[in-house]
Amino acid sequence: MELRLLSWGPMKLVLIPALAAFTLLGQSVTPVSDSGLQDQSSDLNVNSRYIIESIHFVDQRQYKLSTSALDEISRLVGAKVSSEALDRLALRIRAELRAHDVTFKLTRGAQPEAVRVLIQVDRAGGSFDASVPNLSYNSTLGFTGTGQLTSTIGANAFTLRALHDGDTLIERFSGIQAKYERVGLAHGRISLGFEFDGYQDQYSNSTIAALANSSQTSSLGAGAYGSRLNYEPSATFVLAAPLTLTVGLSFEQLNNLPSAARSESANAVINTLRYHRRWTESGDSTQELDAGYSLRAATTALGTDLAYTRHMAHLKYNYSSRTQSVEVTMLAGAIYGQAPLFERFALGDSTLLRGWNKYDLDPLGGNRLAYGSVTYGYHIMRVFYDTGSVWDQGKSPEAKDSAGIGVSSGLGVLEKGAFLVALAFPLRQGHVTPVLIAGMNF
Amino acid sequence: MTVRASLHSALLNRARKQGSLALLLSLQLAAMTVSSTGLLPRHVAGDLHVNAPNLHFLTGKSLSRLHDGAAVPFDFQLIIASGSKDNVVARSLERFTVSYDVWEEKFSVVRVRDFRRSGMRLSASSAESWCLDNIVIPTAGLPAGQQLWARLEIRSAESKEPLATTSGINLATLIEIFSRPSRPQQDRWSVESAPFQLSDLKPQ
Repeated sequence: MELRLLSWGPMKLVLIPALAAFTLLGQSVTPVSDSGLQDQSSDLNVNSRYIIESIHFVDQRQYKLSTSALDEISRLVGAKVSSEALDRLALRIRAELRAHDVTFKLTRGAQPEAVRVLIQVDRAGGSFDASVPNLSYNSTLGFTGTGQLTSTIGANAFTLRALHDGDTLIERFSGIQAKYERVGLAHGRISLGFEFDGYQDQYSNSTIAALANSSQTSSLGAGAYGSRLNYEPSATFVLAAPLTLTVGLSFEQLNNLPSAARSESANAVINTLRYHRRWTESGDSTQELDAGYSLRAATTALGTDLAYTRHMAHLKYNYSSRTQSVEVTMLAGAIYGQAPLFERFALGDSTLLRGWNKYDLDPLGGNRLAYGSVTYGYHIMRVFYDTGSVWDQGKSPEAKDSAGIGVSSGLGVLEKGAFLVALAFPLRQGHVTPVLIAGMNF
Repeated sequence: MTVRASLHSALLNRARKQGSLALLLSLQLAAMTVSSTGLLPRHVAGDLHVNAPNLHFLTGKSLSRLHDGAAVPFDFQLIIASGSKDNVVARSLERFTVSYDVWEEKFSVVRVRDFRRSGMRLSASSAESWCLDNIVIPTAGLPAGQQLWARLEIRSAESKEPLATTSGINLATLIEIFSRPSRPQQDRWSVESAPFQLSDLKPQ
């Protein structure tokens, strides 16, 4: 039997005699002699016999968590309830989100003997966060970056972004995105949002030259606009977690056009069906599947000047073990009608068909897209192979290939999103011109 | 810091200087809210048991945490005083961990220092009674023929609050828990008996 005193300093003066007095008085606390005794409150939970069916946030928000935190969540799903493990996870999420408090609750699962874990993030009446969601450099295309301010007050989330993007579209654009989101409606199954975007646009010389040749732009709905504004109300429904459907409207206004009209509108109905799941089958391996289909239909019913439909499907699968990883990405898209430049597909940037210059492939983009990519990782080393094509309807697609090598990892403050430094090589006859790509969260 | 906490701190320093256990205990007694005469002592097979028919601690925040599937520890302290309420002659300390089965909607209780002692599939009132049934004081050490007072204190605890070690239950921690003011987020209850003598209690 051992009575352990903590380091209380002067308190011992009082408690040591107290303990002695209790012992003399034959007090009834009898420390057990079981040497294996632990404070096993976690195991004393009657719910520890149940299997965790799923772990979600109560408000259904997509919180930005580190890869290792997501791994921890994946590991807990399928395991028996452990209050200790859930407490540890709550502490971790609290630290990463800088929340006032993070708690969890258990509810009955869909299957007997299974429970759902709902994580409640308490922002203590509001929170404010500043971050850099992405930052990248491409030796051909230059810098792209986004700065973000977020504020959450109860179930209301406000996001303000300032961005400069020369990577993802044919145009280079700079501007702001402001979004309000009301989450947690209908027991967390519905969220409503409204986004306003305002951009200034610039074009490469090759794009301007191509625009001058109108015969090449028969499927292009507008010329080189100098700025554009977007007003976008939307609603997201959790159909069957993690399957979500987003529906909304996009009222896009293209200004400073070279034509007499000076401005045109591209007002569209938007729909996005998305499935995103991450899971762990064994203690060391994690799989992640992100698949989705989006449709943007600009119809005259919305008073649009440009009528078109844009279909886009994506599939991304990642398998990661302790030392190795494989990631497969596939994209397919088609546009019917006359879509403006920002809707057209492009390959040859920092994430798609790396190593190629998108302006060399097609300075106006295309209305058809097919793309695939495989990345293999061993520890922090990465090698990748990309292949794909953008083309216009009625023309023959011409597949382009590229390969690259680099390092990628999540370290310290960057753990929430891995950084990548890579050299990418377009595979073409004659010569090889490497492109340096570096950045984080892209 | 509240006025009560300030008073507590000042008196605690004085108690340290004088090394006076009695002062410390009287300080603790003074700092607590007491509902009197709600505790009924019983004499069962050489042990002093207590009943508290009007005391319900599976309520409020603790009950909400339980319904959310968390395991909630409760620290119990049963004190017997003799001659005067300040003269503590025996005490018993226990931690019980209560949880609520989200499927069966029943409570479960485990005595932390002896996992084999547990109550399963209980209603809320049965779980409360189970805890009281499992905190006792042997009557052998109690003075006969003197007026006694029984006092029961209960505090909800954080499940992360360490209580036991690989080498045994940490009695000092339990004493320390009851020596300090409760935190705002802690639920606490206190009830005491009317004065009684051992001879008044009919052995059951």
